[in-house]
Amino acid sequence: MTLAAPVLPVPRRTGRRPRCGTRFAAWAFLLPAVAYVVVFFGYPLAANVVMSTQDYTVKSFYTGEAPFVGLANYAAVLTDPLFSTAALNTVLFTAGSLVFQFVIGLALAVFFTGRFLGSALLRSLLLLPWLLPLVVSGAVWRWMFDQDHGVLNAALRLAGLGAVPWLSSTGWALPAVILTNIWIGIPFNLVILHGGLRAIPASLHEAAALDGAGAWQRFRYVTWPLLRPVSGIVLMLGLVYTIKVFDVIMVVTGGGPANATQTLTTWSYRLSFQDFTFGRGAAVGNVLILVATGFGLLYLRSAKATLAEAAT
Amino acid sequence: MSVARRALFLAASAALLAACSPSPAPQTPDAPAATSVTELDYYADEQGSAAWQKILDACAAQTGIKIERQTVPTAQMLPKILQGASSKTLPGLLFTDNPTLQQVAATGALTPLSDYGISADGYYPSIVKAGTYQGKIYGVAPGVNGLALIYNKDLLTAAGVQPPSTWDDLKAAAAKLTKDGKYGLAFSAIPSEEGTWQFLPFFWSNGAELSQLDSPQSTQALRYVTDLVTSGSASKSVVTWNQNDVADQFVAGNAAMMINGSWNLARLDEQASLHYGVVPIPVPKAGAKPVVALGGEVGAVPVTSGPTQQAAGKVLSCVLAEPIMLQWSKAHAYIPSKTAVAARFGAEQPAMQAFVDEVGSARSRTAELGEKYPKVSQALADAIQASLTGKQPADQALKTAQQAAGS
Amino acid sequence: MKTAAGVVIVAVLLFPLYWMVNASLQPSGALLRPDPAFFPVGGTLDGYRKALATQGPNLVSSVVVALGTVLVSLVVAAPASYALAQLKVRGGPVLVFVLLIVQMIPGIVMANALYTVFSNLGLIDNYLGLVLADSTATIPFAVLLLRAFMISVPKELTEASRVDGAGYWRTFFSIILPVSRNALVTAGLFAFLFAWADFLFAVTLTTGQSFEPITVGIYRFVGNQSADWNGIMATAVLAAIPAAVLLVVAQRYVVAGLTSGAVKD
Repeated sequence: MTLAAPVLPVPRRTGRRPRCGTRFAAWAFLLPAVAYVVVFFGYPLAANVVMSTQDYTVKSFYTGEAPFVGLANYAAVLTDPLFSTAALNTVLFTAGSLVFQFVIGLALAVFFTGRFLGSALLRSLLLLPWLLPLVVSGAVWRWMFDQDHGVLNAALRLAGLGAVPWLSSTGWALPAVILTNIWIGIPFNLVILHGGLRAIPASLHEAAALDGAGAWQRFRYVTWPLLRPVSGIVLMLGLVYTIKVFDVIMVVTGGGPANATQTLTTWSYRLSFQDFTFGRGAAVGNVLILVATGFGLLYLRSAKATLAEAAT
Repeated sequence: MSVARRALFLAASAALLAACSPSPAPQTPDAPAATSVTELDYYADEQGSAAWQKILDACAAQTGIKIERQTVPTAQMLPKILQGASSKTLPGLLFTDNPTLQQVAATGALTPLSDYGISADGYYPSIVKAGTYQGKIYGVAPGVNGLALIYNKDLLTAAGVQPPSTWDDLKAAAAKLTKDGKYGLAFSAIPSEEGTWQFLPFFWSNGAELSQLDSPQSTQALRYVTDLVTSGSASKSVVTWNQNDVADQFVAGNAAMMINGSWNLARLDEQASLHYGVVPIPVPKAGAKPVVALGGEVGAVPVTSGPTQQAAGKVLSCVLAEPIMLQWSKAHAYIPSKTAVAARFGAEQPAMQAFVDEVGSARSRTAELGEKYPKVSQALADAIQASLTGKQPADQALKTAQQAAGS
Repeated sequence: MKTAAGVVIVAVLLFPLYWMVNASLQPSGALLRPDPAFFPVGGTLDGYRKALATQGPNLVSSVVVALGTVLVSLVVAAPASYALAQLKVRGGPVLVFVLLIVQMIPGIVMANALYTVFSNLGLIDNYLGLVLADSTATIPFAVLLLRAFMISVPKELTEASRVDGAGYWRTFFSIILPVSRNALVTAGLFAFLFAWADFLFAVTLTTGQSFEPITVGIYRFVGNQSADWNGIMATAVLAAIPAAVLLVVAQRYVVAGLTSGAVKD
């Protein structure tokens, strides 16, 4: 590539920008981020992939030696009886969390558009769940879920329904953890979707209202399509973060009872730090990355479409 | 991406990877004696931290070596050790839970304590075994602890129940004490080392061995504990309670008896309205001796540099000296790990006598299995959970566990 | 009317928070009694005394780290998002994809790797080190979020400025940034919250010898063998206050109306 001094792009009335100038400027903007990603993520990602092909034990941390075992770790992990349980739990946990976080977050975002007395304050208060250290939120929810003395069961008893063995039964533990995660995840969805809603010009809503569209129709034909790029990113990021959720589950149930809340992420941790088979833990971690990669590709295809639309 | 840029990125990555390889430990053959030593422990809570700090200060004064202390939450201890091992920045002195010692010693990162003139004479054999790897002693504990049955005197008197000493007694007592929304017994059965640790007294006292998880004795023990839960004498929530939670439940009056360790006594003493008593964990048949697992942190000296290791050895010797050992045990409700000191300790503190008796027959968890212990422990904890939640009957759960442990 | 509904919604959603405040005012374990007190009548301020006495400096440390992370994240992410959203870049989709994927790397893997690198570079117990580490969690997110917003910036705005002869940097500073204020505040907010609540990097990259963020400091009350819930909850409440204040202030900066007056219809 020629290293001539960058040509200052001459603006053209037709709007078509000269390629060389644009490309250079674009890469100049991108350079800090790209460098950051390579420097800070390149090594851990590579190390994790390498570790998954090794028989990595506690000793390897000290001596640096770990025999190469190829794909044996992956084979062991995929044929482990716990794999299907963990995978199923992960799917249920992720889907359950995402759906409700998004719907509730969207409903709240719609509720809080438009100003009314105290709207800014109330909306900011709703971010508080995210501020709390997870050891705290986890502990509070554990008390609330307590079968005998928890607030939730007290409320249920008052309402005439029976007490639910939230955390001590294999059937209810996963819903309990999903509920906790939904609570923690609502602020994230709320803030981003609210920002997205704010970015839709009021003039469009007004025009639609003038044309006789009702509230639901306005939402369906004006709001929802324009919210798509933001919805897309919220769901995609929500997916990545929910798959990665670790602290919430560990604090509330520790992966139990009897592996009822064991997800692939918590299982990866257990393989590494309780069974000391770090190679297998890394293998599970990489399986998760592959899954996220699949969804990422899907997201990119739909995002490309959106980008193409925006460019026209 | 242009060729030049690609090359630049590759170069940057290569440089980073080169920088990432840990630098070798400094070799200083003729360096003067070290005057300070880094130390790592997990006594993070206020009371424990203050008590341990006093010990370190006393030894710093005695040896003239400055101790730079680092405390981490319990769950972070192992990651810290691993990070230190891989970057060759292990602390000079390490205090870690005794089952972990085998793993760390197996890495080669620890030095034998005989290098510093520390001998194993006069210690309980179980704690010596816990710190021994391939015939050499790598870690010794200043204090040990174990589990016992702690009961609420008022509740037992009100129900006309004697503190139980056998399994049948325990079952009857717990059933009788379960009323008015209170449970008879509370213990911990979480899917981790803590759950296994709480179950081991029942397991070992009945004659089962960790090498054979699905033996009849083991099944019997698990069935007994499961029965306590299914009959309602213990809350189903035991599968979610760690030992802190169990103590919370006992203090709140939700359980008349609990299986917990000596470290709770300080807290129980603070509750003026709570009158508690301590008896050894009930045994299957009258007259047998309870066999509990040995708890407590061992002090070890990782590989650092000659002078630092010597300094650490001096500090460790000071910590293991009798007066300091006694001070630590008193402050943190542990049992001194030297038999003679423990006997004196038990005489001075009658409340701790039950624990002192138990330590005599206690077993170290890693004595037979060594590094293989974590896997077996996890399998057993899973079996306990499966049985208590009703997912699998006890014998099947243990068969599954034996398979998992063996693989 | 809407206010009333809003208050009810917030009250329901924030009940666990109320429970936390309740716990912070009662002796440790009081909420486990058969009839937990809904109101901390006759409660205790011991937890707050303990927390204030020991955790004050930790709060300051957390604020410093969080603000630093916001700064670094926005400085790195904003230009990159602009390029990805508005300028046609050939490797663009690849970078977006990479940013999505790197967030999947388990936290403990990142922590171990960063510890090794940082201890060689002397960045342990160092504010800059912790800021850089926390930014690994915030920069990918910020880039993706800002990009999603910047895509919807109308082309008319940027074309208008380019027709007026402005270079890319001028366009970026004078047009894109002000117009994306919503998104920048949102991204900054999240960067702050991520860094504030981070525990793993904080505990890995500090030794307690110099400073300690509040997420690590709170463990002073959680021991291996006892948990002082009173102290823990009090610390959490105290920790939530400055962050909550900053939140409310930041929300005020969100200006309604993205394109009012910028483009003449």
